[in-house]
Amino acid sequence: MELSNETLGILGFVGLLVLVVIGVRIYIAAAIVGLIGLIGMIGWDAGAGIVGTIPHSKSASYTLSVLPMFILIGYLAFHAGITDAVFDAARKWFGWMPGGLAVASVFATAGFAAVSGASTATAAVFSRVAIPEMLKSGYHPKLAAGVVAAGGTLATLIPPSAILVIYAIIVEESVGQLLLAGFIPGIVSALVYAGIIVVWSIIDPTIGRPIRGYTWGERVKSVPGTFPVLAVIVIIFSAVYYGWATPTEAGALGAFVVFVLALAKGMRWDNLKDALLETAKLTVMIFTLIWGVLIFVRFLGFTGVPAEFTEWITSLDYPPVVIMIFILLGYAILGMFMDAIGMMLLTLPVVYPAVIALGYDPIWFGIVVVKMAEVCLVTPPIGLNCFVVNAVRPDIPLTQVFRGVGPFVVADFITVGLFLAFPWIITWLPQQVLG
Amino acid sequence: MAHALGNRPTRQSAREGFIGWLDYVVWQIERAFTLLSSLFIFGLMMIGVVQVFGRKLFDAPIFGYIDMVELAMTTFAFLAISYTERLGGHVRMELLVGKLKGRVQWAAEFASVIVALFVVAILIYYGWTHTVRAYEFGDSTIDAEYPMWPSKLVVPIAFSLLWIRLLVMAYGYARLFADPERTPIGVPVVGNVAEQAKAEAAEALGADAREGGR
Amino acid sequence: QTVEGPKVSWKLSTWGNPRAFTKGIEHIAEVVKERTGGNFTIEIFYGEALSKARENLDGIKLGAFDAAQLCNFYHPGKNPAWMIFTMPFLPIGDWDVREKVTRAMYKHPAFIADMDGWNAMPYMSALLPQYEFLGRGEPPLKLSDWNGKRVRAGGGLGLAMEVLGATRTTVPATEVYTSMERGTVDAASFPYTYAHAAYKIPEVADWFTNNMSPGTSECGTVFSKTSYGKLPEQYKALLEDVLDEAYDVQVQAYIDIDKKNLPDFKAKLQEILYTPEQLAEFQKVAGTPVWDQWVAENQEKFDARGLLNDLLAEIEKAQKGS
Ligand code: NA
Ligand code: NA
Repeated sequence: MELSNETLGILGFVGLLVLVVIGVRIYIAAAIVGLIGLIGMIGWDAGAGIVGTIPHSKSASYTLSVLPMFILIGYLAFHAGITDAVFDAARKWFGWMPGGLAVASVFATAGFAAVSGASTATAAVFSRVAIPEMLKSGYHPKLAAGVVAAGGTLATLIPPSAILVIYAIIVEESVGQLLLAGFIPGIVSALVYAGIIVVWSIIDPTIGRPIRGYTWGERVKSVPGTFPVLAVIVIIFSAVYYGWATPTEAGALGAFVVFVLALAKGMRWDNLKDALLETAKLTVMIFTLIWGVLIFVRFLGFTGVPAEFTEWITSLDYPPVVIMIFILLGYAILGMFMDAIGMMLLTLPVVYPAVIALGYDPIWFGIVVVKMAEVCLVTPPIGLNCFVVNAVRPDIPLTQVFRGVGPFVVADFITVGLFLAFPWIITWLPQQVLG
Repeated sequence: MAHALGNRPTRQSAREGFIGWLDYVVWQIERAFTLLSSLFIFGLMMIGVVQVFGRKLFDAPIFGYIDMVELAMTTFAFLAISYTERLGGHVRMELLVGKLKGRVQWAAEFASVIVALFVVAILIYYGWTHTVRAYEFGDSTIDAEYPMWPSKLVVPIAFSLLWIRLLVMAYGYARLFADPERTPIGVPVVGNVAEQAKAEAAEALGADAREGGR
Repeated sequence: QTVEGPKVSWKLSTWGNPRAFTKGIEHIAEVVKERTGGNFTIEIFYGEALSKARENLDGIKLGAFDAAQLCNFYHPGKNPAWMIFTMPFLPIGDWDVREKVTRAMYKHPAFIADMDGWNAMPYMSALLPQYEFLGRGEPPLKLSDWNGKRVRAGGGLGLAMEVLGATRTTVPATEVYTSMERGTVDAASFPYTYAHAAYKIPEVADWFTNNMSPGTSECGTVFSKTSYGKLPEQYKALLEDVLDEAYDVQVQAYIDIDKKNLPDFKAKLQEILYTPEQLAEFQKVAGTPVWDQWVAENQEKFDARGLLNDLLAEIEKAQKGS
């Protein structure tokens, strides 16, 4: 029986789905399907031979070398005492607002996002720093837990962000542009979160009361503690903005600054070794996912399915915005079951050309997809951030955590709506800088 | 996402029969590979700093910096792959497998590992021929024209260690399949989402919060 | 339909989108399909769908596809002889000369030998245009003005610029715009005018060189020897027949782009034209020494001296002919 290339491609997708669902590691599932598909199409030696070139050829690319640097910054940041300092400053500056400590938590997670690229890690450290303070001040546990779980997701929008780098590389856009593009949407997300908290606390003042009584002197004194964060922001932002360093070099410099600070804070060899080992582990995990999935994508390339899909999407008789909303809903559903990087690697080679053919901006789409992936970190059934909060604070039941993030999920949909209605929120900054 | 729970190989687990010993021996090599990979990451940070300052202050960038980084990337892209596999750190969907119990669970895990053994074996062989091609017919980086084959060689080496690890895991799962009452040794213990989240939180919070030492 | 024959479908691997660079091979695919009544098709896979650009030769050797495009500078080690086209200040700026010389070199034993190891055979050059510089700040009106400039230039071209006292930097093409705007790169060399415009460099530059011809790269299409060997004779002949017009189409594509870009360049930027004496001096100071150095470094791999002499002879022949 002679199978058409499209049929092969679709069979491949089905096979991959089955393997992933039954719990085969994604890199193995993607590699075996790609391998069998390619061998079926072009024979054993050519198929397996091509597969054998992919791990090296997809990994040894300078642009990707920014990943370990970004990851290292995050692991060192914890030892540099940045978390406490940032939360302390945020509390003193924003505590007076309705739900003030929760608002402070949002801005503290946003600040910490500038030194951390991982949502779950951010949620974990703030579960330990912010939740006790909120509970002590009589905040409702569901608000305390919800804000930390949701605030954690800001880490991937605000650079450094591994996911944005990976998006840039899959779609061959400038890493610098993507990183710049994440700033404002990250801040917008934080502001919408803060807005939701304020509204919620005005409607129901019992969930979180304002914290007053800090003097201006105390406020000003809390600022220097946040300087490491500012330093990393300035380094990465100005490097891409002014072009004086590549993202990898900027990441290296940022990591170095945090490294020196951590040493000054008394980080020991054991801590450093742990941070480095964890960085190595997360780095290899991401690289493995990348080449594994790209073996499958190579097979798709031989079938020609991505081009067919683009043709199909552009032939649809709906307004592009309707198609876009459907695509985003697709991501919302997929994100419930999959990890963000895997989801992007798998779908973008097919979805991205279609989205571009519809006339959407590549940078804009990247930010929106990452935002969608992050929403899924706080929605059932496997909203990992909620589980992380629950793991650090077993006293707050999971149901309460999920109930607590509810308003923030609403906030996220408002934010995505804003991005759809006003695309310049995303595109303005990168265009400003890089034309 | 799947992450490590607290069942790293230890000196103590090394005494638990042949599987424990094997697990521990491979683990030592994995740790060495991962430390090497960590050193390269640390080096990447340092060379980046030197490059920026060299260029800005002395107008003397390191020649072939990009080429060097590209060549070195296989160390941190591959060397820790087996270590991470042992810790159950590679991404997978736990929705179903996390719910399985007993013999069914070990059978599923065993099947998964067999598939992986097949794929990785092919990747080793064809990664090796890819290296040989680069050596025999010449392949080089773009600017500094450094030879490419040493970088390509790292891939089959790292995969070979991964293959050995998968073999140990296959043995470990087969042993548990035979008698689900045994304590899991030589395989990562991966629980449901909540348990993973716990592990993930422990990781983010540093070594002091991690359960089970080394 | 003029050529009868069996059904053959080829895959060709390339990178990027359809553009001037791919016009020649697109034309070939089109004509071949038409003349064989759809029996012989060459499907072009863009965007590295089949292979990373740098691994195209590996794909050919493995038999994953039948044809591929490549650029010599992606992997100098894979095609040492092909690197001769990066030699600075070769007098091949004229399209006619460039085409004749390149077509002759595609039949040169050293060029064929480079591809042999990869089970590939050279077919058609993409005739990448000569490089020129676009820059910001002080225009380099004379040789000595290049001293101290930070330039983005690779291969033999980079070496030549170093001889002139410039500092080489290796900025990825996508980052050149920013680097020049922010002053970390003073001048960047790209295939002219084609790639300059693609990377929007004129927006941030002040001047451009128009006849410096400091070097070029050789990119082109190669076939798998196995796939080619299996073709019936009439298809092989057809591929040979369409070459002339495909080269015409290819050159015209660049000329059209120049027609569009050059007025913009001239309106916005200061044009720098060197005198024949200055060009001769460039060649003497930064050309010949780099050629000699390249010969010395490569002589043990193949007869680099012989190749250089053959190339210069072809250039002379072509110049006389045009
Ligand atoms: Na971040
Ligand atoms: Na979810």
